[in-house]
Amino acid sequence: MVVVDDVHKWFGSVHAVRGVSFELPAGTVAGLLGHNGAGKSTTIRMIAGYITPDAGRVSIAGHDMTDERLQATRQMGYLPESTPLYPEMPTKDYLEFRGRLFGLSREMRRKRVDEVIERCWLKDVRLRRVGQLSKGYKQRVGLAASLLHEPRVLLLDEPTSGLDPSQVRETRDLVRELAQDRTMLISSHVLPEVEAICNRVIIFAGGKVRAAGGVQELARSTGAAGYVVEVKLDASRAGDGGAALLALREAMMRVGGVSDVNMTTLQEGWTRVEVQASRESGDLREAIARAVPSGGVVRELRPKAASLESIFMRVLEQAAREEGTLAPGAGKQSIADAAANNTRASDGGGA
Amino acid sequence: MIAAHVLPAWALARRELSSYFRQPAGWIIIALFLLLTGVVFAFAVLVPARPASMRAFFDASGWLLLPVAPAISMRLLAEEFRTGTVEGLMTAPISTPALVLGKFFGSVLFLLAMLVPTLVYPITLMAVSDPVPDMGPIVAGYVCLLLLGVLYLSLGLLASSATANATLAFIVTLFLILALLLVGTLGRQVDGVLREVIFAMSLPPRLSDFAKGVIATNHIAWFVTLSVLACGVAMMFVQWRRWR
Repeated sequence: MVVVDDVHKWFGSVHAVRGVSFELPAGTVAGLLGHNGAGKSTTIRMIAGYITPDAGRVSIAGHDMTDERLQATRQMGYLPESTPLYPEMPTKDYLEFRGRLFGLSREMRRKRVDEVIERCWLKDVRLRRVGQLSKGYKQRVGLAASLLHEPRVLLLDEPTSGLDPSQVRETRDLVRELAQDRTMLISSHVLPEVEAICNRVIIFAGGKVRAAGGVQELARSTGAAGYVVEVKLDASRAGDGGAALLALREAMMRVGGVSDVNMTTLQEGWTRVEVQASRESGDLREAIARAVPSGGVVRELRPKAASLESIFMRVLEQAAREEGTLAPGAGKQSIADAAANNTRASDGGGA
Repeated sequence: MIAAHVLPAWALARRELSSYFRQPAGWIIIALFLLLTGVVFAFAVLVPARPASMRAFFDASGWLLLPVAPAISMRLLAEEFRTGTVEGLMTAPISTPALVLGKFFGSVLFLLAMLVPTLVYPITLMAVSDPVPDMGPIVAGYVCLLLLGVLYLSLGLLASSATANATLAFIVTLFLILALLLVGTLGRQVDGVLREVIFAMSLPPRLSDFAKGVIATNHIAWFVTLSVLACGVAMMFVQWRRWR
């Protein structure tokens, strides 16, 4: 449905997008991840036809974005970053205008405007001027406008940035609902959002795609396996508590395939043990359970799901290492930036 | 196929026109224009015991367009660039020429909305003066005013397409208009081809022909050509933004 083929963009001497290629089959809901300046917005703008690529091609529903832009854009709804709208226009008039711009007939326009007002929960503000609306409402007006012509492809650039937590939740619910029957590309740096909505992830760094695929698939290819164990040791047997923990740690480390063990003391004598293992080692749950010294009680033992966050960080570290061979020190900085961004983003989105 | 270009352009023109009236600026511009031309009409046109002539009104209107036209056109594209709404237009199924012309016609419609009420003046004049005033100069005067307005607006569109700063667009438009008005003085200082070129670009001689009641095709062609050129360059500036 969306094909991006070896797309490049230079801004002056800066090579902002360096040969990006990916394909979104119909029904894909893809998340475009990357820290600020990774080339996400530029890429999405090239897909939307706002910026022409310096090299490479973009096509939507079989129409080339450069040669057949009008046909391609008819299949596409686009919500630009920060949702620019005309503040002096009432919501309904704005939607009418967008409908006309997309060449909808009068009856069609009337019908579709009512439908998107309903679908995006805009009934209360249909006669209010867009400039007076809250950010969350503005975002929904933008989304409603992008849906008017029933596009098969929807491109959303940072749909929840700058919203407060309740607005984030509303917008995310709406986006998830919309994702059910169309191809979508959502750029975001809010990882939980992408994890909740998308069935495919494309990770950007330094203007290139560093990883792409389903979350599970990426977890298998990039993440190490991990287990969480919660255990209470029999204090009377081991005597000193510290020595008992040390023994536990050693026992765990002896299990084949385990690379690292971290322990956290919980309340009432319980200890959480996080075990890192290599991916090739298979299911280690039984071996780990056996490694608990006799008299110890296990109340939880589960494989740790690789979070998108850990995948994202791993991919960025890898990208930074590759870049680092070209520019020593630069990579380290970008990891720190990404981590900082990421923490901020999940703070905002997770609430 | 034509409809695919005309309908979105018409949507833009309508939006543009309604946007002038949704903001105080549009009403203020029209009110000031009518107030000043009304004063001129009352004190310089409606003079008893003199042959009825609208000359003073057309002269004053021509001068008034000097600040008014750039004020109408300055936001046309500059404001879209500044707020980012242009992204929504440039990713809609509308070609760049249709986008630019739609915007331009929106401003021309506003100009018409400003000029139409002034038709009260010639109608009043006809009612009160005896003998009836000569219609030729009045029609020529309106044709001239319209061509002048369209030319100024197209220069304004050009300036507005080159910047995201509406104030800068206003000043550049004013400068372009003044250049057409004043270039004649420069022409007297030089000889040869340059002199010919400069006089060809000069605006005042054409205005005085219209003022005599002459509607000459070559003058109309001059106005139309310059306006089309300005719109064409504006299209190039907008298209260039895709490549920047």
